[in-house]
Amino acid sequence: MRQTILEGLEQVYSNLVHMVAEFLPRFLVMLIIIVIGLLVAFVLKYILRALLGLTKLDRLSEEAGASRFLRMAHLPPMTELLSRSIFWVTWIGFILVGLSVLGVAGLQEQISRLFRFLPEVFVAILILFLGAVIANFLSRAALLAAVNAGHPSPKILTWSIRFVIGILAISMTLEELGVARQTVISAFSIIFGASMLGLAIAFGLGGQDLARKCLERYLGDTKKAKDKEPQPL
Amino acid sequence: MAEDVFLADDLLRQLMSVGEVDLLVGMSSHNAANTVSQAVRTIEESLQRNFVRQRVVIVNVGGGHQDEDSVVAKGHGNLVEKDVRLPGITSLRTSHRVTANFSGPPSPGIALHTILAAADLLRARACAVVSPATSNLTSDSIANLLRPAYLEKFDFVAPLYTRNKYQGLLARNLLYPMSRALFGCGIRELFSDEWGFSGRLAALCLNQDVWHEEAIRARPEAWMAISAISSDFRCCQTFLGEKSQAVKGPGTDIVEVLRQTVGTLFWCLETQQSLWLDCQRSQPVPTFGTAHELTSEQTDLDRHRIFEMFRSGVTELEPILSSILDPETHSEIRSIVSIEEEKFRFKSDIWVRTLYDFAASYHHAVINRDHLVQALAPLYRGMTYSFLVEHADSSPAEMEAASEMLCVEFELQKPYLMERWKAKVEVKS
Repeated sequence: MRQTILEGLEQVYSNLVHMVAEFLPRFLVMLIIIVIGLLVAFVLKYILRALLGLTKLDRLSEEAGASRFLRMAHLPPMTELLSRSIFWVTWIGFILVGLSVLGVAGLQEQISRLFRFLPEVFVAILILFLGAVIANFLSRAALLAAVNAGHPSPKILTWSIRFVIGILAISMTLEELGVARQTVISAFSIIFGASMLGLAIAFGLGGQDLARKCLERYLGDTKKAKDKEPQPL
Repeated sequence: MAEDVFLADDLLRQLMSVGEVDLLVGMSSHNAANTVSQAVRTIEESLQRNFVRQRVVIVNVGGGHQDEDSVVAKGHGNLVEKDVRLPGITSLRTSHRVTANFSGPPSPGIALHTILAAADLLRARACAVVSPATSNLTSDSIANLLRPAYLEKFDFVAPLYTRNKYQGLLARNLLYPMSRALFGCGIRELFSDEWGFSGRLAALCLNQDVWHEEAIRARPEAWMAISAISSDFRCCQTFLGEKSQAVKGPGTDIVEVLRQTVGTLFWCLETQQSLWLDCQRSQPVPTFGTAHELTSEQTDLDRHRIFEMFRSGVTELEPILSSILDPETHSEIRSIVSIEEEKFRFKSDIWVRTLYDFAASYHHAVINRDHLVQALAPLYRGMTYSFLVEHADSSPAEMEAASEMLCVEFELQKPYLMERWKAKVEVKS
């Protein structure tokens, strides 16, 4: 009886030692990978920051209106954001590789799934960000053009552009992530089509006078209106 | 870019057959096919009448339009015309004509680049650029542009005109006072279709790497003047008579004019920082002929519409203006928007601060720079309305005094611009 217990304990101890002996090198390998990853991520961050500094990305981002979005979201400038992103992406990649070395059952499958999904997430974020920048740029351009042309309701035009581009960007993002693809495409088609039809009907029937005035202004009366301002030069 | 790289072989051949010249008159006949033949005749007359002993050449940058080119080379088979004599005029020298095609999409900047390259290759001592599209091109006006550069050794010759008192308000209320306060040189007509320059200024400008810039392609003349100022070259003004409006062009499309002029001025502020940040006081510019002349004919101006466009513009563009203007300036603008039309006045100190805020925001690129310049249009309309009301019964002397006061205001507030220019971009959400 006693002998059996001792043998059992010995077996457990032996297994434990075996496990630790097997785990410890892997753990050390993981730590080494994570540390190397940290160094690689730092190097990449500084290289990217220097390269982006040379390309004057921050100035371009300011002009495109992207920096305004970043400031509103309390995010750093574009160059800093991208270099920090590359740091974290690289380091997280190394951490996941390090974790996979541990050989924990189930974890490897999850990690490989995450790796497969990661590019799609980045593309989706990029689409969303570009959509926001384009919507902001075009709606501002439309607002300025409409205001300076004396359009009676310029904000409707601005909101329409923002709405259409926003819907388009969200649909593309969801499609990229593979979230209910068919539903998203159908929903987008219905919303977009219905909005355009609604606007056309509202403008053509509900706002006949406005439509007439707009057409007169754009097609016939433009020169007359302009002539009533003094020559600037 | 070296001139022989972008100049076409055919143009180089023409220029080589001309040799060296004393005077060069350049023009762009793009969009002026109907008036180019009259312009060429006027230039010929001016050169033969006023510069009898000088070697002269007319360079027409025509945008590849056969009709326009053929006018310049008409009747001679060769592209270089020789010895055309006007009746009763006794020029002792050969007058040459050279035609060139645009080396890119037609624009005033491309045309000037070609003219400068031709002037440099021909070693021209004095040059003038004229516009065939303007209806008041006279023999005397061309001579007036060439003489100061050729005889008096001035490097940049700006025109001066007789104007209706309600015309040229952008130049009067913005371009002239702002450029005078910042660059220290009181050239009234910084943006014009005709101006003169020396051969050495042509060589200086030709070697600048700016010809791809949108601001230079649209309106290169102000940049040329500022380049002359920055190099301590001599500038002057010369009276040309009545200002006529171009037959074609942006006309009164305020936004397009603002993009071309204010956009270029802001671009010059950006590229010539060292010049204007160190400039202390403005200097008077030597003037040939009458300094300024105003006429008071009645014009059909819709003041109410101008005011309404100002009011609605400021209201609708509030989010954009808030990102451009200093909070204090913005709140003052918002407060004057609510004033009744009859009592509304755009005070000069607010106007100057508004413009300096725009210039600083252009520098910091707080929004797209083209959008920023467009956002100025409603405020310019507000200033225009205020000016029209204030000076409805003013005499030319009173208007000149008001203009001088505005210039002083611009100079007084220059430290404000310098402070905002050097400040870091503020985070506005």
